[in-house]
Amino acid sequence: MMDPNIDRIMNTPDVQVDTERALSRIRERVERERIAPVISAPRAPRAPAVSLWVKGLAAAASVAIIAVLLTVSGVAETILTIFEPKQVVAVPITSSDFSGATGFAQYGTLVWSTPPQPIDVPDLATAERESGMKVLRATLPAGVNTTKARYGVMPRTTATFTFSAERTRASAARLQRTPPPMPANIDGAKLFITGGPGVVQFYGEATAPAGATGANPLSGMPMLIIAQGKGPVVQSDGVTVEQLQQYLLAQPGISPQLAAQIRAIKDPSSTLPIPIPVDVATSKNVTVQGVQGVFVGDSTGLGSAVIWSKDGLVYGVAGTLTEAQIMAVANSLH
Amino acid sequence: MGAASEALRGVVAAPAMPASFEALFRREYSRVVAIAYRVVRDVAEAEDVAQDVFVSFYRKHPADAGYAPAWLHAAAAHTALNVIRSRERRGRRETADTVARDVPVDPAQQTEDAETRAEVRGALARIDERAAALLALRYSGLSYDEIAAALGLRRSSIGTMLRRAEDAFRKEVTR
Repeated sequence: MMDPNIDRIMNTPDVQVDTERALSRIRERVERERIAPVISAPRAPRAPAVSLWVKGLAAAASVAIIAVLLTVSGVAETILTIFEPKQVVAVPITSSDFSGATGFAQYGTLVWSTPPQPIDVPDLATAERESGMKVLRATLPAGVNTTKARYGVMPRTTATFTFSAERTRASAARLQRTPPPMPANIDGAKLFITGGPGVVQFYGEATAPAGATGANPLSGMPMLIIAQGKGPVVQSDGVTVEQLQQYLLAQPGISPQLAAQIRAIKDPSSTLPIPIPVDVATSKNVTVQGVQGVFVGDSTGLGSAVIWSKDGLVYGVAGTLTEAQIMAVANSLH
Repeated sequence: MGAASEALRGVVAAPAMPASFEALFRREYSRVVAIAYRVVRDVAEAEDVAQDVFVSFYRKHPADAGYAPAWLHAAAAHTALNVIRSRERRGRRETADTVARDVPVDPAQQTEDAETRAEVRGALARIDERAAALLALRYSGLSYDEIAAALGLRRSSIGTMLRRAEDAFRKEVTR
């Protein structure tokens, strides 16, 4: 039997740990499993409602507005990168389409010269001043509370991605994979990425689904989100969309079906693909503001979104509203 | 627009590990391992627990949250307790299997350390989880204030609860 002297039993000496090694281990795991960190929104000097902005973005993600936080492998989608979006197209994806595919980070280094830093603004006039763009106004459906309106501006964001064959080899080795070798003309090539500026409007507060009991899971989330902005524009210092497509779609982890869908995009340099996770959302083409857009509904019926591109800008309307209401809001923007 | 930029960010690369998370990791890692070690009594296993705890935190919470240390301490204790509790259940099944197969166990082959470890783990697995967590936190050096923050208790009740936890633990190891 053990000595019941609890001090002696429990007061074991502390173990020696190698914190830096442990940190490397967790870094590798986060990269391998493409785990995104939760980032606190930067403090806005003008308004205290930053948390609402963050919740708004979370809500946008939750209705699959544009798979913002879906950790789809960046690999397949990156082919769209050398481009300026003029139209949008839905690309259905399943978890098996990108099983095992890891983050784009394994192909090189991304350096944010101007990281995304959303700020809260008190009204649409300030949003226009801060973003330098005309902000479209919507006719809101009955029941959407305008007294809880919030506005955010995402200033222009820029980043540079540099491909690295060496980094790719090292990442593949860690994953015990043998991907096709990176062509010499891609190794060291740079992509210059700019996104924004953009403006997001949040209205109302989502209510719990009918019949739900207990805490409202949507508490604090906006009922309606209207977003507009300059879509991501990517420039390359030499490598072409076709070269990148050929290389990236041959990577392990990209399903032939997904590769075929990407190749089928007629004009990859001007088409913004909207990844639709088919197990949680459905999509269809719709006409909105006179152009083709993608309507996305999540399978719970709680939320929907419509996304389109017009006159050099990308627009999205999302919320816990019906399809008819979302479309009416989208078409009312002026 | 923000969503587009965010989409771009999500598409192009897994966001880099924030410096604030690395700082939190460096500050708290040894403490998290120490708490887990009080429970699992095995360094490698304690480090595995710590990795899981930090990854869970990374997925759901910003590293600069004020509650981060308290969250990590509580999660370390509970995750480690889950490990030994599931092992205890499996162990009982395995013991039953062993007896059923009539395979002799030679106690002399086990070191005293291994025996102590098994008894501590068994006792912690059997007592009330909050009491076990209290012991793990206290004996890894947390102050009453830190324990209260981690377990969501009033500081003034920690002393009494700790004594009860020690009594329960003592009963288990002497039974």
